[in-house]
Amino acid sequence: MNSVLLECRDLVKVFPGVRALDGVGLRLTAGSVHALLGENGAGKSTLIKVLTGVHAPDGGTLAWEGEPVQLRSPLEATRTGIGVVHQERNLIPGFSVAENITLQKPPSRRGLVDYAAMTEPAAGCLTELGVDLAPDRPVRELSVAQQQLVEIAKALYTESRVLLLDEPTASLSPEETERLFEVIRRLAERGACVVFVSHKLEEVFAVCDTVTVLRDGKSVLESSPLADHSHDDIVSLMVGRAHAATELHPRPVDRSAAPALELDGVATAGGHRDISLAVRPGEIVGLYGLVGAGRSELVKAVLGLGRITAGEVRVHGRTARISSPRQALHEFGIGYVTENRKEEGVFLEQPIVRNITVTVWRRLARAFGFVPARKERETAQGLVERLGIRIAGLAQNAGELSGGNQQKVSLAKWLAADTRLLVIDEPTVGVDVRTKRAFHELIWELAHDGLPILLISSDLAEMVTLADRIVVMTDHRVRGEVDNDRDYDRMSGRIIRLIHDRDAVRS
Amino acid sequence: MSTLLDQQGRAAEVLRRFSRTTAAMLLLVVVAGSVALEVASSGSFLEGPSVRVFLQYLATPILIGLAQMVALCVGQLNLAVGALGGFTACLTGVLMADHGVPAVIAVLVGLLTATAVGLVTGIVIVATQINGFIVTLATMTILLGAQYRLVGTRTVDGYSPTLRDLGTAAPLDTPLVFVTAIVAAGLLGAFMYRTVAGRRLLAAGGNPLAARLSGISTDRQIVLAHTLSGLLVGVAAVTATASLPGVNHSVGGDWLLPSFAAPIIGGVALTGGSIAVFGTVLAAFVTRLIDAARAQFSLDPSWVNLLIGLVVLGTVAGGHLHQTRLAKSASSEASPQPEGAR
Amino acid sequence: MTTSVSPPETVPAQERTAGHRMPFWVNQRLGLLVLVIALSMLFGVLRPAFLDQRLVLFPLLRDVATLTVVALAQMVALSVGHMNLAVGRMAAFGAMFAGIGYDRLHLPMQAGLLLCLAAGAAIGAVTGWLIARTGVSSFVVTLAMDFALLGLVSLMYSGLTEDAAFTTRPAGIDALRSYSLADICVGPLCGSPAVPQLAQFTVFAMLGLGFLYGCTRIGRELLLTGAIPAAAELSGIPTGRRVLLAHTLSGLLAALAGFMAAAGTGTFRASIGDDFMLPSFLGAVLGGTLLTGGVVSVLGTLLGTALVGVIRKGLDLLGVGLESLNIYLGCILLLALSADRIRTVVSYRKVVRST
Repeated sequence: MNSVLLECRDLVKVFPGVRALDGVGLRLTAGSVHALLGENGAGKSTLIKVLTGVHAPDGGTLAWEGEPVQLRSPLEATRTGIGVVHQERNLIPGFSVAENITLQKPPSRRGLVDYAAMTEPAAGCLTELGVDLAPDRPVRELSVAQQQLVEIAKALYTESRVLLLDEPTASLSPEETERLFEVIRRLAERGACVVFVSHKLEEVFAVCDTVTVLRDGKSVLESSPLADHSHDDIVSLMVGRAHAATELHPRPVDRSAAPALELDGVATAGGHRDISLAVRPGEIVGLYGLVGAGRSELVKAVLGLGRITAGEVRVHGRTARISSPRQALHEFGIGYVTENRKEEGVFLEQPIVRNITVTVWRRLARAFGFVPARKERETAQGLVERLGIRIAGLAQNAGELSGGNQQKVSLAKWLAADTRLLVIDEPTVGVDVRTKRAFHELIWELAHDGLPILLISSDLAEMVTLADRIVVMTDHRVRGEVDNDRDYDRMSGRIIRLIHDRDAVRS
Repeated sequence: MSTLLDQQGRAAEVLRRFSRTTAAMLLLVVVAGSVALEVASSGSFLEGPSVRVFLQYLATPILIGLAQMVALCVGQLNLAVGALGGFTACLTGVLMADHGVPAVIAVLVGLLTATAVGLVTGIVIVATQINGFIVTLATMTILLGAQYRLVGTRTVDGYSPTLRDLGTAAPLDTPLVFVTAIVAAGLLGAFMYRTVAGRRLLAAGGNPLAARLSGISTDRQIVLAHTLSGLLVGVAAVTATASLPGVNHSVGGDWLLPSFAAPIIGGVALTGGSIAVFGTVLAAFVTRLIDAARAQFSLDPSWVNLLIGLVVLGTVAGGHLHQTRLAKSASSEASPQPEGAR
Repeated sequence: MTTSVSPPETVPAQERTAGHRMPFWVNQRLGLLVLVIALSMLFGVLRPAFLDQRLVLFPLLRDVATLTVVALAQMVALSVGHMNLAVGRMAAFGAMFAGIGYDRLHLPMQAGLLLCLAAGAAIGAVTGWLIARTGVSSFVVTLAMDFALLGLVSLMYSGLTEDAAFTTRPAGIDALRSYSLADICVGPLCGSPAVPQLAQFTVFAMLGLGFLYGCTRIGRELLLTGAIPAAAELSGIPTGRRVLLAHTLSGLLAALAGFMAAAGTGTFRASIGDDFMLPSFLGAVLGGTLLTGGVVSVLGTLLGTALVGVIRKGLDLLGVGLESLNIYLGCILLLALSADRIRTVVSYRKVVRST
């Protein structure tokens, strides 16, 4: 049962400006459940895309059952026997369950779809998974969990022997997760290899037997038995202890000052319950949680983009019922550096100067809304120099900048507006180490100057480096709060325990 | 015995599902409208001659609605429906009247030309990656010019009497052109629901990424959709040529709006991935009913446009409200959504 | 995750040469200008009658003036990433109110114009409100609006008039129709007889929009709303209100164009604006306005419309039938956009190779 199905060595994938994969090795054996771990930006998605034929590797070798193999398209990967269930649903909403399962090669006679012949194999795949689902139901009527099972059935139908599951539990309830685990174990017993990609370590330890850890595009732990490692081992491998130790000069925080932002028992229509936290002037409060914990949604609800159903939000001591980001900015001075740079943070096809001054046109405007171009340029230039943004000219489109500089532009617009409270969401995802350090120093400086900052991050090292206090959130609830003493080991232990306590409660 | 019960149960289930669809609502509107007209016309609406007239003018709205629907189902749109129809009708007419081409060949040439234009449109869209809106806007312009160059300001009417007879023939008060439209709708439905090619088309419209991962080329589906759309416009043009007293530069000029109205009222989403052959046909019925009612009460023809416009606005606004309510009720019970896509 | 970044995003700043920094729409507008002048000269040489100021250039410029306003109406809708398929019908709707004002209320010309603009802005606002409120695509809403107005306008004309047109002309409107700059003299110096006085409205509209998009907060906010609505909302821009504003402005400009068209022909009738949709897109898109929103060019819109006008008139004088001109116009639209596309692909390849 221990034959090697897929093996890759020294995989390299280069995107302009980034080495997304830089020597990755992986060995997938039949009958195992293999955990693929790594932080955001470590290269997991790229690796999955290479293994499923979406991207061609720029270097390294791939072998299927010992034979060299090239995967030039998703179709070829499927034919080889590699199936994947992506995070985003890849089903046709208007089609039936059976038709979705058989989409790749629908049973047909002379060009006509044979619906009768479709039901049986589809039902077979569903039974194999132990799923009770009528094959003729339209997919759009199914729940997220059911759709995911349909996708796994789809991979069974194409006789995949390697099945990659990308964050399969992100939107599942505990019961649904447990059922998925049974399915995964059954698949492994049948001689398949299931690759399980997840941020939730507890789940990894519950279901996996082998582990590969990626960091900065390299495999720092390669196809090793999971039993040989502890939680903490794995976490430190993922995070990379070397990065954790950025030295920043000490910064006093006045714990007695009135909070700039206070959430008191807040619940939202998005599922948050009883959220309480406070951020004081000059303080960096970290909001730590895994993907799907509901951190960005919480901020968006506070900014008026989601409905707050209970509790109170106070900004600078004043009860705030905010209906739009506009009101948040102009009445309460709240700035939000978004996580999703390309879709929410930066206008890629617009000049840098407009990207930076969008928040201050109101202030710059004279009669008839006239915005003096000189003032606009001066404002932008000042921030470009202050943040050290490398640009060719202010009229350049923001899309021409590197990721790190784009991120600085999206921060600059809030500094331009003299915001009195800043929320920064995953500031250093996908930027190189040097830019990351520069960013950390910048955030530190801002807090030093008295700005209250709420920092959202899934990067534990970043949290320990920057935050004064760390609020831990899972499942749309606050699980606890720890004072940061900047000792990485102690902090990571306490935080992981907070997260696991919830998992223990779950199971 | 048990199988009979089983069948009855299944039939009831199908009926229950159907009763909630747009098509069922439209069917209700069609029946209620017909009855109302019957009453208002004191019994003359459902008599032979008036049914014949009603159905005679129903063929074109059905066919152009279907042509637009095919484009919409892959997330495209076809602004050239009217221009292509007019051009094809004029081409067929001119071939027969001015060049003495036999009707059969002229009709075939017309159909082929329309299909070819659709094919080229699709290829241009895929090759240049220019927005389909602009490409079909350009082909519309070109075809309008070509149509005018063919016929100028004259009306071409000296063409095959056989074709004309066929166009106005109505055995059992069912005009042949209407039968053609229904057959076309049936074939299209069979293609979309039964064939592998049709399912691929819908898959590409429903979720392009998923389709591509399953080895379906979305580019090819876009080309195919425009080709099919062209073919259906060709059929519409031929039926128009057959049933009109003559063809001139104004044929097809008022097709664009009805071609969108039928699928949108019939329940087709503009984002692609959904089709409603029956719904589109019924929606064309409804618009034709509005027209018939207008004639019944001798109102200004403009009432039709006003009403159709308001119906479309009502449909999309109502549909949107319905969806947001669904989404709200769903989100309140479902587990929270994951944070961002990573 | 972040590793799947699209290539152009990560191009370091220093890779770009100084030449790249010049926005390419500058070149596009320059190209258009050169093309317009060159074609005019070509037609002038082939058919000297083309340069006849009173008989050819005057009506040509009057058409260009009107259609530029139409294209500007479309451009405003495009600036927020929407489109307005009902430009023509909104023009007819506005012009109808002017007609009613003159015929029934015996308003002076200026008052009628104001009524016309108000009606256009109102119907535009209704459209914008529907779009912002329901979130349905502007394509469908304006298409349905087109239907509804088509019916409504014809109904009102046939209800209110004898022969489907308002023929009462207020004082001054004839002057608008036929007077050129030649009728304005400062001492012995008179203007060119080729430039119609009607063009004053176009100039006003262009100056207004140029100021709006070039210099003001609202204009910038409209563009950012068009570029990425979600990012605009999160940056504190009230995107719903900007969408409403864009459609209101679009309706207002369409109504102005309707008034100009009516003034140009002398009667207010339902068929005004029938053939506005194509030129509206041609002018705006050829001028460099993006269909996806976020980029507009006021001057480009004028030049795009002028190019179309010159080609139309020139080919007409060369004996090409007026309607089959459409064949060439369609081809030009496709060619112009394909050229643009090729240019982006080529420059993208260069960028990729350089990293």
